[in-house]
Amino acid sequence: MFEDLALLGFGPEGWGRALLSAALTTIAVSVCAFLTGSVLGTLLAWAKLGGGAWLQRVADVYGVVLRGVPDLLVIYLFYFGGRQVVAALARLAGHDGPVDVSGFAAGALAIGLISAAGQAEVLRGAYGAIPGGTLEAGLVGGMGRWTLFYRVIVPQGTVTALPGLGNQWQSVVKETALVSVTGLVETMRAVTIASGSTELPFLFYAAGAGIFLAITTLSGFVFRTAEWRVRRWAPTQGRA
Amino acid sequence: MTAPAIRLRGIHKHFGAAHVLRGIDLDAQTGDVVSIIGSSGSGKSTLLRCIPFLEQADSGEISVGDAGITLGQPGARLTRPDRAAIRAIRSRVGFVFQNFNLWPHLTALGNVMEVPVHVQKRPKAEVRAEAEAMLEKVGLSHRRDAYPAQLSGGQQQRVAIARALAIRPQALLFDEPTSALDPELVGEVLAVIRSLAEEGRTMILVTHEMGFARHVSTKAIFLHGGLVEEAGPPAQVFGDPHSERCRRFVAGLGIAAP
Amino acid sequence: MDAAFLLAVLQTLLAGVPLTIGLTLLALAGGGLLALVLAGLRASSRVGAALADAYVFVFRGSPLLIQIFMIYYGLPQFGFIRHSVLWPLLREPYVCAALAFMLNDAAYTSEILRGGLRAVPRGAVEAAVVGNMRRRTIMRRIVLPLAVRQALPAYGIEITSMLKSTSLASVVTLMDVTGVARSLVSETYRAIEVFGAAALIYLVLVTATTAAVRALERHLSIRPAERPAPRSAPA
Repeated sequence: MFEDLALLGFGPEGWGRALLSAALTTIAVSVCAFLTGSVLGTLLAWAKLGGGAWLQRVADVYGVVLRGVPDLLVIYLFYFGGRQVVAALARLAGHDGPVDVSGFAAGALAIGLISAAGQAEVLRGAYGAIPGGTLEAGLVGGMGRWTLFYRVIVPQGTVTALPGLGNQWQSVVKETALVSVTGLVETMRAVTIASGSTELPFLFYAAGAGIFLAITTLSGFVFRTAEWRVRRWAPTQGRA
Repeated sequence: MTAPAIRLRGIHKHFGAAHVLRGIDLDAQTGDVVSIIGSSGSGKSTLLRCIPFLEQADSGEISVGDAGITLGQPGARLTRPDRAAIRAIRSRVGFVFQNFNLWPHLTALGNVMEVPVHVQKRPKAEVRAEAEAMLEKVGLSHRRDAYPAQLSGGQQQRVAIARALAIRPQALLFDEPTSALDPELVGEVLAVIRSLAEEGRTMILVTHEMGFARHVSTKAIFLHGGLVEEAGPPAQVFGDPHSERCRRFVAGLGIAAP
Repeated sequence: MDAAFLLAVLQTLLAGVPLTIGLTLLALAGGGLLALVLAGLRASSRVGAALADAYVFVFRGSPLLIQIFMIYYGLPQFGFIRHSVLWPLLREPYVCAALAFMLNDAAYTSEILRGGLRAVPRGAVEAAVVGNMRRRTIMRRIVLPLAVRQALPAYGIEITSMLKSTSLASVVTLMDVTGVARSLVSETYRAIEVFGAAALIYLVLVTATTAAVRALERHLSIRPAERPAPRSAPA
């Protein structure tokens, strides 16, 4: 059994390099998805907090829909649906052959859109936890809207938002395993290929789980350190 | 001489290295209203909580009526007879907490009925009648179906008092009953406590309400640093204490002369 | 994109709903029981608590898909599994998926339970202690009712989350709503309409479940709306 463990290594028979590359792909997809979610999530939070009634409605509906549908389905929609759309467009442009849509792109986009809904809620809650008085003090002191945003809102909001965002990041990382259905060789797909080739599924799926656990644990450290550092100068915050 | 309703002898209690109670003696005869006063950290609440074993005293004797327990070693394991004695003591006292501690998922009536029905195993119909009478007594029978979240602080505390009365205790223990209340709600609770005192109930009252304590008590004790510094009739403890510290404490709280 | 097609699609997809709901209920029931075991394990000893923590760490930190594959593809690797009396069950994709869902749900539910228990006010327990209530009675009449009320919102989220997670069963050939949708798409190539319709079905299921949980929350909780008006008015 222990000879099998060598298969995880970097030797000639080893899958170590392939797994490492796959792990990096996982991280890459996660980062793209999370950032997409952050940008869109910020817009959604802003819409819910300050937009007109119509905009708030749209943002609310977005949240309900994207949190009411399974992640796998959204990925299928973007991947297979995306191929359908691109194929239709290609046909219009005269190209009749098969088209391909990047699994990476479709996956990152799908997960990003889902994450946006969750991150919007975190950001909204974080904004709500900021003491109104600090905003008033800024306004009275003559701060413009942008200054207020990045010198008053962001620093204080970060304290409350960090734990929630940490959870969102963890979810995103785990969801990227689903992108394997598009054929993208990230961790999940890599261990599936390896287990098929070596006929040692238990070993490789365990290794895959191990990779994800390593990523989420490491991320957990990073987030907790960030929380700790931010909390030091905001002792009255972050008790949400 | 009849045995005191409540009797404490040589109560010691440590919290870690801190010697919070350093040998307290206390007697409350039937019908006595004993006030325990002192600054924060003097051990007053701890002393009161030792009686129904919310805190376990390190050593000393505790007895309520015919139920009593003697504690030898700090942190010693409790034997079965010990546990029976504790249960007997608890069944003889009603305890009113500073933070009311009503059960949020039960109505006012439910709170009052809970212990008589589920611990004392008395028949439900009889308990309901008595519970409604208790709520009437504290002036809240019209809120019997309200949940604690729907009641003001003063109302919650009055329900808590009714709950303590419903177990038919020999004595009542009050742990700073009005300290958590907004000022305008304190009066309604003190009124209930006064009426209970006038009925002749045996009570021990830990409180900061000096004026009230002076008028309602039959006996007062001033605790400082875990020891009884002054004990006697209210006129003495509040009016003309032997202890200088007690004199300063009482003066600092600005009690009006009678 | 014609209405007749969409209607036909919806009808076909509805065939997958019983499997979706069945897997969800199984996952919650099995997961709930296992969560109670984990809670007991946690309370029993230092080692027990460490084991429970390790369990939660592994099952919450790794993707559900890997957990399913581990059971479905990984277990058959071992001879003693293939020759065991459970093999007829463990070779079935349904059993493997349900098992994975239960194990996963247990991890989340045990944490929710933990949070609920922690949120029970100490004072409520003290009042019961002073009233001479036995430990078991306190647990039954005071702690658990309050813990459940505190945990309900979080558990409601877990329910809908599990409902959506059952879509992963389609990856091991099961014909739940997502599975039916996949096969329909491979026949018709109309991905957007079919997956869109499937999404609609899940949306309805999730919304209905959320509404039901909220109704239960309202039924169990106390409405502070009936607070008396100005507090200076004597009761």
